[in-house]
Amino acid sequence: MRKIIPLIEKEVKDLLRDPRIYIGLIIPVIMLPLLGSIMSTAVSTSIQTSMVVLKIAVIDADKTRLSKEFLNLLKNTDMSVYEIDGTDLNSAINWMRELGLEFLIVVEKGFEEDLNNFRVANIRVYAIIYSVGLGSIGKYNAFQTQLQNYIKIFSDMLIYRLNPNVNAETIRKPLNFTFHSILKNNVVKIDPQTFLSQFLMGYSIIVPMILFILSISVVQMAATATAVENEEKTLETLLTLPVSRYEILVAKLLGSSIISVIGGVLFTMGFLIYFESMLKMPGMDISTSFYQVLPPIHLESFLLLGISIMLSIFFITSLGVVIGALSSDVRMANSLLGFVIIPIMVPFFLILYGDPKVMPLAIKLVIYAFPTSYPTLIAREMIINPIPVEAIFGIPYSIVITTVILYVTSLIMSPEKLLTLQHKLRARTVGKEKRQ
Amino acid sequence: MFLILKDYGLNAPFNRKYSNKLLYGSFKTDFCLVTERMEEGSETAVVVKNLVKRFGAFTAVDGISFEINKGEVFGLIGPNGAGKTTTLRIISTLLPPTSGEVRVFGNDILRDADKIRRIISYLAEEAGTYRNISGKEYLSIIARIYFDSEEASKAVEEAIEFSGLGDRINDKMKTYSKGMKRRIQIARVLMTKPKLAILDEPTAGLDVFHAQYIRNIIKKYAENGGTVILSSHNMLEVEYLCSRVALMHQGHIVIQDKPQAIKNRLNASNLEEAFVKVVAS
Repeated sequence: MRKIIPLIEKEVKDLLRDPRIYIGLIIPVIMLPLLGSIMSTAVSTSIQTSMVVLKIAVIDADKTRLSKEFLNLLKNTDMSVYEIDGTDLNSAINWMRELGLEFLIVVEKGFEEDLNNFRVANIRVYAIIYSVGLGSIGKYNAFQTQLQNYIKIFSDMLIYRLNPNVNAETIRKPLNFTFHSILKNNVVKIDPQTFLSQFLMGYSIIVPMILFILSISVVQMAATATAVENEEKTLETLLTLPVSRYEILVAKLLGSSIISVIGGVLFTMGFLIYFESMLKMPGMDISTSFYQVLPPIHLESFLLLGISIMLSIFFITSLGVVIGALSSDVRMANSLLGFVIIPIMVPFFLILYGDPKVMPLAIKLVIYAFPTSYPTLIAREMIINPIPVEAIFGIPYSIVITTVILYVTSLIMSPEKLLTLQHKLRARTVGKEKRQ
Repeated sequence: MFLILKDYGLNAPFNRKYSNKLLYGSFKTDFCLVTERMEEGSETAVVVKNLVKRFGAFTAVDGISFEINKGEVFGLIGPNGAGKTTTLRIISTLLPPTSGEVRVFGNDILRDADKIRRIISYLAEEAGTYRNISGKEYLSIIARIYFDSEEASKAVEEAIEFSGLGDRINDKMKTYSKGMKRRIQIARVLMTKPKLAILDEPTAGLDVFHAQYIRNIIKKYAENGGTVILSSHNMLEVEYLCSRVALMHQGHIVIQDKPQAIKNRLNASNLEEAFVKVVAS
């Protein structure tokens, strides 16, 4: 162990002082919150601005007392309402384009007659799509909410006409369903649909997203750090020192992992700030209080999640070290990374979008084969269920598989074997590039 | 006259009993010169016997044998592709031999690689440095692998002294010139006080002043009892540093002796001329 510490120190110092690494570590903490804040501000400003100056064109084909009342209702809101005399749709749209109007409401003939006879009155709504973006979605949502208010006002009016002593709300909604979700053994007053959609957006996305991006940077960093030893001709010296090949690899693994953990913490901070900014955006109706009504998560679950994330980082780093060791230079390491990253990412998405419990055995085995699957599994189960036993077994399994990978790499880590492997891999990579 | 001793066991009781040792050169060339009388009671640092190294169909080293005594500076010279670097890599435990025997201070290169790594220090021809670590940090990292903290600090101070880098020792090594990188590497090699220093082209690419500086360091190290095996293209350097040299060509040792003896035998005015004569023949 005494001999490994200086080697770990070498790894950490060499990596941490590399501008390619430390800039990569700092960027998420600055960029993600900045991005979230810019997006949130941009969307809010865009929606607020558009709501203030929301311009609506109206064609009243009915021209009755009730249709005029409806028009007055529209005019009494914050929107600018432009009444069009004709009934030709095409010329109305052209006129709207000229004035930059976004919505057209057409009150059809028979509006008053239908309402007086307690039939559904038809109103056509046209929206000109000028741009596509979150701002447009928010604007459209706000407009729809406004239309719902008009429906409510007209239904109140009709109910009052039928019987002034009746509560209009009771007629509109005679049955009231109160939804509850049972999470573990706790009864929580949340609509299951709301829970599932918000949970997917929240907990179960944060962990896989962080792991996904972190894994890519970790594997790249470890592979680069090891390949640089080949490229800069420092590996030969390292291999003649009185330390075993296994110790060299363990030092590389631990050194890269320390940087990865620092990177992970910084990235998580940046991502959480970004995520919070996104929650505050108009139209993204995920309330933070949603998380407050959830059953408390036990400390052991968080501990287990932390351990599984650490082991996942170790595993990914060990793969990066293997790739780096097999590469004669950084360029070759980068081209080999794709072969590793893609299969590792597959279980991520399988867990994210499916339920491993109901998947065929073969797919389950693929998922459980990768230590990177366990943090995602734990993150999604820790709120709604007890931690699955597979995830608990995954911890010793992850340790074993990472150790085996390092041990096998240490066996092939002799210059002669590495040169032979590097030559074969280079020949294969070059051949593939030529064919493409 | 040709003399070939097939079962020449350098560690055999025969050799320890009788001080008259025989060295031999290549088996496969016509140019095979033998003879050297070694000092009585000398201890053998390195024994290379019938060493063969093949890479697929290519034979890089083809049955060479030599031995190096403790405190000796032994030079391997030869043109590019002669097998010098391969031989040094085998002695430094980086490459396993295809056949033959290599012993370093009595330790077998295959069986006792760990023991050998504790007593040798290897300088590769193109040994690189870590870009973002200072020279001092690098020396400290290596020293702490070999020694406990107190001894390591002392070794680092010594190494800084003979690296001659002054205040630049605290700068990141990516800012070093080629000469400075080589000096820090030489300092690294000798800092650990190895029983055997293996130096592959120690002054390659250096200007006259830096080369001279490094040669003096090596010389001083050998005078203090260290054993050195080095390869070089610089015949002046070899003549200046080495007590004995082996000339390699196409994987064979074609001649090995003291530099003066080689010059006398080949009727050459300097080692460079001798080298050209041997390779041409």
